[in-house]
Amino acid sequence: MRFLLVDEILELVPGQHIRATKTMDPGEELFKDHFPGFPVVPGVLLTEMMAQAAGKCLAAEDASRGRPMLAKITSASFREWVTPGQAALIEARIRSSRVQFATAECHIEVNGRVVAESSLLFSFAPHDQFASGWRDEVLERFQKKARG
Amino acid sequence: MTTQEATTWIAILFQESVESLTPETPRDAVPAWDSLGELTMMADMDEKFGIVLTDSQLRAMTRVDDILQVLRNNGKITD
Repeated sequence: MRFLLVDEILELVPGQHIRATKTMDPGEELFKDHFPGFPVVPGVLLTEMMAQAAGKCLAAEDASRGRPMLAKITSASFREWVTPGQAALIEARIRSSRVQFATAECHIEVNGRVVAESSLLFSFAPHDQFASGWRDEVLERFQKKARG
Repeated sequence: MTTQEATTWIAILFQESVESLTPETPRDAVPAWDSLGELTMMADMDEKFGIVLTDSQLRAMTRVDDILQVLRNNGKITD
């Protein structure tokens, strides 16, 4: 499985908020173990969905400070099971965004019900630490679409 | 906010008991006052008190009183 936990960005105001979606493929091998006969999306992946969505919102605001990296899960709660195949609507609101750090309040809804929430802290890593030429396909796709 | 309340905030921030912190407590004696703790402090200072710490202020913080002093200098501690 690739670690791409945002399928599509629906709405984005750089540095302010983002709405995005992710649907986990029921055929993913991890569901054989999580859990046998009772497949549910792991809380760590729900958290990562929120982190990746918030990260795209921050990256779209100011790419010069580096790539947003999850530094701390200040809080996270999981209210309902999310099963593979269910569409997760991810929302993140950036609370503060500075050169050295950023914070975000995030949640995920499935069928109109909040299933997970988190409060996240980000730091920024210099671009030269990553593979040269790396690009965020999901963010670029949204930006291209937004430009028409 | 009083100095005691500010010390309580610092203790919660660094997951220490309030009793274990004094103004003289050095950074080395606070395990959670590492780079992540620093980041957490910056975010909390910004969001709770509207104080944006500079890199030089951060580097100059070597004991609990240095944090209290930043709060005092910004009028957040009243006693």
